[in-house]
Amino acid sequence: MTDGLKLGDRIFSSRLLLGTGKFSSTDAMIRAVRASGAELVTVALRRFHPGRPVDDVFGPLAALEGVTLVPNTSGARDAREAVRAAQLGRELAGSPFVKLEIHPNPHHLLPDPIETYEAAKILVQDGFFVLPYMPADPVLARRLEEIGCAAVMPLGAAIGSGQGLTTMSMLKLIIHEASVPVIVDAGLRSPSDAALTMEIGGDAVLVNSAIATAEDPELMAGAFAAAVKAGRDAWRAGLMPRSEAAAATSPLTAFLADEGAG
Amino acid sequence: MTAALPDWLAPLPWLDQAGSDDARLVEHALRADQPGIREFAALLSPAAGRRLETLARRALALTRRHFGSTISLYAPLYLSNYCPTRCTYCGFAADRRIARHKLTPAELEAELSALKTLSIEEILLLTGDRTAVADYPYVRDCVRLAAARFPNVAVEVFALSADEYRGLSAAGCSAVTLYQETYDPVRYEQTHLSGPKRDYLNRLDAPARALAGGMRAVSLGALLGLGQPLFDLLCLYQHATHLRRAFWKGGVAISFPRLRPEAGGSTADFPVDDNFLAQAIFAFRICLPDVPLTLSTRESPRFRDGMAGLGISKMSVASRTTVGGYDLETLPSGAQFDINDHRGVAAFCAALQAKGLQPVFKNWDAAYREQTVPVSAP
Repeated sequence: MTDGLKLGDRIFSSRLLLGTGKFSSTDAMIRAVRASGAELVTVALRRFHPGRPVDDVFGPLAALEGVTLVPNTSGARDAREAVRAAQLGRELAGSPFVKLEIHPNPHHLLPDPIETYEAAKILVQDGFFVLPYMPADPVLARRLEEIGCAAVMPLGAAIGSGQGLTTMSMLKLIIHEASVPVIVDAGLRSPSDAALTMEIGGDAVLVNSAIATAEDPELMAGAFAAAVKAGRDAWRAGLMPRSEAAAATSPLTAFLADEGAG
Repeated sequence: MTAALPDWLAPLPWLDQAGSDDARLVEHALRADQPGIREFAALLSPAAGRRLETLARRALALTRRHFGSTISLYAPLYLSNYCPTRCTYCGFAADRRIARHKLTPAELEAELSALKTLSIEEILLLTGDRTAVADYPYVRDCVRLAAARFPNVAVEVFALSADEYRGLSAAGCSAVTLYQETYDPVRYEQTHLSGPKRDYLNRLDAPARALAGGMRAVSLGALLGLGQPLFDLLCLYQHATHLRRAFWKGGVAISFPRLRPEAGGSTADFPVDDNFLAQAIFAFRICLPDVPLTLSTRESPRFRDGMAGLGISKMSVASRTTVGGYDLETLPSGAQFDINDHRGVAAFCAALQAKGLQPVFKNWDAAYREQTVPVSAP
């Protein structure tokens, strides 16, 4: 049985999504995307620059085989702006996916739950597969699922903070209750954060800063890919439960076996 | 009458700390989880000046974390050099005998075309202080023309009213740059001899009006060299944090203009050397890690290349400080100040790339404006 990630009407084999900001060059970004094996790559509409190969992030990504582009609405302050950006992104990228990102505060970039919910309603109606970046709020996750989002993307920590899974207990609740894929986005610092996300049952992770700002982004992209696979395999294999006491590998009551109930 | 410093701006008691030679204060500042004004003051101190390399490393790591390995680029475009104000340090001052000019709509279009061919996507439109020749309607109409072709248009003009800022925002302007020049009211009075700009509090309050009027961001600065640098930098920090508290959706950026020799021959009364300017930039980066920090072509190639990514996240390129100046057909006028970095776009980008930094021209989109429909010429 294949272990695919189903988003909208598509199935992907990679569970690592890549963001494309912050790289030192387009070439470094493309090499990292390749090394990550990511099939879904987000790209900010604000970095689309058709006709300017030096500056354009979109063109080189669009040329990659096996990669589906997910325009994001980074920069939008409210639902109206995000809807406009999503529609323009779809027009330019020809992708049915949108990463809905609404952060009114340009400094900490934390997502606005109210505007995100309003925009998601409109975009779902408009036929998008909406992937909303959201606070790690289990109620909001269900609300976004109810209105038809293709996945939910709760944050592990603030974008670019590298603080890891600071929202762990909420993420566990979201994952436990979700019936759409849960993609943990933002804050991941290390491959072990990504592995841990997968081990607790997360469906995928989205990574950008941790790869883009590494000394060797290509190598780090491969490390994240391996960690995501390891974490997913571990989750499928079934982790042993945590225990307070040591568990003997040979049963202490073996001597009773002959006279036991059988 | 000299203006009174508002309470929220006053740099006391931090001024003493910023002048301190106590290495322990610097050590505490570097260990702080949430650096604030106390830590900022300590990082400006002479004691911190001896830890410049430590500060630089911290600044590099924080810049990379928040802005990645990228530098956003923009170009200034002077619309007019008419000015009714006498600022002692400025090449456009009312009493300077220079050629005055303001761009006509056709000249502006030519300038915009010239900037487009340089790949520029973010422009900063500048004027002198408010005059009947270049008043709010003129600026608004220029913004409208520029916004029809550029995704990101900002202005550095005179202090406007909240309604006027609202109008500029509707015309397609996304940000306002406005330097207080010096936060010391006495020095302010001494260096702004006459004209509308002489009103210290009107200028001080203008960035707040801009954000209230719907601007996405304001860029603050003190013209370093005009007043006591520690006083000005502490006030600048207070101004930035005050605005962030007051406007939770507002972006605040900080620029570091330094007084340079200009056409009128004035020199800095409080000279700021390279080391201290670098230290100030590091202190801002460490204490305000997510705030864009800007460095212009007033500075030398050596200093700019060194500071790119080392605290600095945004830079101007290929600048002209005459009215127009990008389109060779337009007659050049007197300059506001001298440029030190004369490199063209390609040469400057090559220098950034050699440092492992990606120059970013377009980092915004017209889709984020209320009005995206191009407007015909006024």
